[in-house]
Amino acid sequence: MSVALCEGVSGEVRAAADRMAIFLSRFIRDGELVFHGVASALPMAAIVMARNTHAPNLTYLNVPGGVDPKPSYLPGSTVARQLMEGALSYFTLTEIFDLSARGKLGLAFLGGAQIDARGEVNLSFIGDPAAPKVRLPGGAGSAHILPTARRTVLWRTIHDAKSFPECCDFVTASGNVVAVVTPLCIFEKAEGRLRVKSIHQGVAPDDLRAATGFDLGDLESAPVTPEPTDVERTALEAADTEGVRLLEFI
Amino acid sequence: MAGKIMSLTEAAALVQDGDLLALGGNALTRIPAAFVRELARQRRENLRLVKTAGAYDVDLLCAAGAVAQTQTGYVGFENLFGLAPSYRRSVEEGRVQVVEHACSTVIAGLRASAHGLPSQPVAGLDGSDVAAHTGFRQIKDPYTGESVYMVSKIRPRFAILHVTYADAEGNARIEGGAFEDVLMSRAAESVILTAERIEETAFFVEKPDRTAVPAFMVGAVVHAPGGARPGGCHPLYDIDEDAVKAYLDSASRAESLRAHLDSWEERDYAGCAAVSGDVA
Repeated sequence: MSVALCEGVSGEVRAAADRMAIFLSRFIRDGELVFHGVASALPMAAIVMARNTHAPNLTYLNVPGGVDPKPSYLPGSTVARQLMEGALSYFTLTEIFDLSARGKLGLAFLGGAQIDARGEVNLSFIGDPAAPKVRLPGGAGSAHILPTARRTVLWRTIHDAKSFPECCDFVTASGNVVAVVTPLCIFEKAEGRLRVKSIHQGVAPDDLRAATGFDLGDLESAPVTPEPTDVERTALEAADTEGVRLLEFI
Repeated sequence: MAGKIMSLTEAAALVQDGDLLALGGNALTRIPAAFVRELARQRRENLRLVKTAGAYDVDLLCAAGAVAQTQTGYVGFENLFGLAPSYRRSVEEGRVQVVEHACSTVIAGLRASAHGLPSQPVAGLDGSDVAAHTGFRQIKDPYTGESVYMVSKIRPRFAILHVTYADAEGNARIEGGAFEDVLMSRAAESVILTAERIEETAFFVEKPDRTAVPAFMVGAVVHAPGGARPGGCHPLYDIDEDAVKAYLDSASRAESLRAHLDSWEERDYAGCAAVSGDVA
């Protein structure tokens, strides 16, 4: 089904989706407890592929509660029943929040409609919260997970000045952000602000600057993000046969 | 007809305008879809909805003008279809009040109610505007002096849960992820079950540890095969993405909602006749 939704997607978009899933996966450490929530197709693909690249000993937690599931295919909804298939045990969302509160959750992936210069996330309101221009879906678990998980990595598939402002219209969540992956670059958080860790191949520094609503400082020394390797591409293709990683790009 | 079994129409009529309802399932999985369609058919109004992550259920009730307030962590159609159009419009036009939550604070409020307490401490929320916006207050822990946010109890009048198996008395088994359904059953004043299959009580006696909701908590049982559609229900059927898309393309507008509800009516009522044959 999801494959049908993704028909006619250009090679350029496919390459962008592959890059983001692969770059997200690189933040997973072998042996880490890793969680993604609702509406998280890219991290889901990243986690499942990482088991077949550099992190075979990760523990995968998700909203339906399947611990280390072996889904027959990756579903378009990231809370669907496939994430219980082949699971070894059942650990509920409530228990995941409690685990994170105890400081035991290693890494969580979280999205943002706006991500600002301080690495804060808005998933609630654009404009005045009392009379919003846009009512966003809400942050799901992010207000809890961002400050309590040991590490969080954010992603956003649109990189423009509105999505990356100096300050969010509303701070849904704030906390232990180590990096942000976008179609143009990877940010890392240092001294309370996002700075460019690397720029993806083919992205001009001036274009990145124009697409970002906060000051990026000096980009001359920013390295190029290492391109996906054949091993990574093969692992991603095997993990995400349905192409759900494309959903956020179409 | 045995025990607490009633028709979808009768069960939905137990819900009154203004009620606070907890809706079981999560996003597009094991949602009480047939039940919310019936609430829309019966033109219920001013409902307040509690859920960690809603999608079709919350959006459809917003399209029907049935909702006054939501207490949710997320409402949307995920990466498949994005924002929930009727929910979004209802909030932006000021018809639905948002009580902004994290999923964990919805859980904390339900836990407070389940625990018989006025409020419940919750971790996290540091640096978030959600606490100030929603009015979660901080207190000092009396032992350590540490600041902690407290969430007021959330006590729904009904938890509306779509389950895999139930008996006529209301014992229920859930296959696959149970999400917050079990907690909702403990937090609410009463529980309305819609069930894929009605089983004899012996089915539950065999594995009592698998009974997620015991009969004594349940007020009504509806036989609703396919009752989570167009959502999925483990292990019986998957999310019907085409049907979700069809809803979003047409039925999320108030004027065409009637046609959407009509198109589901026969399927939504299919359980009533089946039950009198199976269980009576």
